[in-house]
Amino acid sequence: MQSRLLLIPVAALVAAAPVRATVYLSVEQAQALMFPGATLTPAFVTLTPEQMKAIEKDSDVNVLSPQLKVWKSSTGGWFIADQVVGKHDFIPFALALDEHGAVKDVEILEYRETYGDQVRNAAWRAQFTGKAHGAPLKVGDDIKNISGATLSSRHITDGVKRLLSTYALVLAQQHA
Amino acid sequence: MPSCSPSSTLERARPLLGTTVAIRVEADDATAGHCAIDAAFAAVAHVHALMSFHEAHSDLSRIHRALPGTRVGVDPQTAEVLRSALAFSAWSGGVFDITIAGQLVAQGLLPHPAHAAMPVADACWRDIQLDDANGVVLQRPLWMDLGGIAKGYAVDRAIACLQAHGIRNACVNAGGDLRLLGPGPHRIAIDTGSEPRVTQPVLEIDEAAVATSSGRTFGDTGQSAHVHGRTRAGVGAQTCVSVVAPTCMHADALTKIVLAAGADSVALLQRLDATAYLHDASDTWSVLGAAA
Repeated sequence: MQSRLLLIPVAALVAAAPVRATVYLSVEQAQALMFPGATLTPAFVTLTPEQMKAIEKDSDVNVLSPQLKVWKSSTGGWFIADQVVGKHDFIPFALALDEHGAVKDVEILEYRETYGDQVRNAAWRAQFTGKAHGAPLKVGDDIKNISGATLSSRHITDGVKRLLSTYALVLAQQHA
Repeated sequence: MPSCSPSSTLERARPLLGTTVAIRVEADDATAGHCAIDAAFAAVAHVHALMSFHEAHSDLSRIHRALPGTRVGVDPQTAEVLRSALAFSAWSGGVFDITIAGQLVAQGLLPHPAHAAMPVADACWRDIQLDDANGVVLQRPLWMDLGGIAKGYAVDRAIACLQAHGIRNACVNAGGDLRLLGPGPHRIAIDTGSEPRVTQPVLEIDEAAVATSSGRTFGDTGQSAHVHGRTRAGVGAQTCVSVVAPTCMHADALTKIVLAAGADSVALLQRLDATAYLHDASDTWSVLGAAA
């Protein structure tokens, strides 16, 4: 098994490129994948302060915004575009619920934390010049992957929990 | 369906295995590519459902609830992972031991399993018996955690699934444990968990898997998520280990063994055609195993 370790000098890096976010899917793409062939009708909701309190009590997760971006599917079921606060930044995600309010799928739409703390470091905002081994290396281009100790997805799990409470306390009531 | 030009790159991520699993494929046809990604995520979710410590209906939880001496039939995939885990225990002289879950529960790193007898303090991997028909018998009460091996296995299943769908170039990354499909060289940045200093480590590999483990993650609490199977003490508080191996399951399990045993793991690394890259507290790198 061939492998080798390169230690790229941080001092040789030029700060040029902005922080790179990984965009997985747009809201429209997620809708098409999670509800293939269905028509989705917006059914946006503004939560009242009382509803927000009730959701927090039920889910034990803070409600960040009263705005709920929800779509009703022609095939039954719901599509919700929401976000959670990650380690540094917002993580947008999509939740698909079936007609009974059970989780069908969760897709992360965008991730700005792929490189963890390093994305905050000048090295990761920069273009690798890579003089030590020929061709220049670019983060996200030549270096697409990162291996590190596992980070928990707790914040997304909590976000899903909050939306399941929101469904039970608000959406299911409105459309009962 | 998202529109894509020929041979486009598709990448998606879902919360699975307690972390974020990202799957990237090169596909001529976007619909077929998304179909392959869906199937690969389903393969990962299947491993999660079978081998989760948290899920009440997992094979693992069913084993924990069974009375000692009672045979519990498990899914062939669960049996495959258990068989590999026991092999790693035997090869490492017990340094790798999935029965450390009792310690992890006591440290608050895992929840107390429901309706399961308290583990016997000195129970170990030798108390687990696995027969050829995928039946498991615990000789004494014990709790198993497959967190040190099942994530890598799930990545391998996802890669196999993508291959079955005709994908030739892909990457499956389960929160830092990853496997690449397609000819290299591939470059993988290593997040050592310590402050970046004068250099950024980047691994250059062929078609292979890389896993990274570090006790540094829990440095704030003074607790390492990794426990030495024999001494049951936390390991790797100041060390980060990346292992390159042909399969992600091997890479995943080997990181724990190298964290605990250091240079004593060279023979096993060589046997499995694997290489370990160790980063220590003094910012020094050492290489062990096949490529050393």
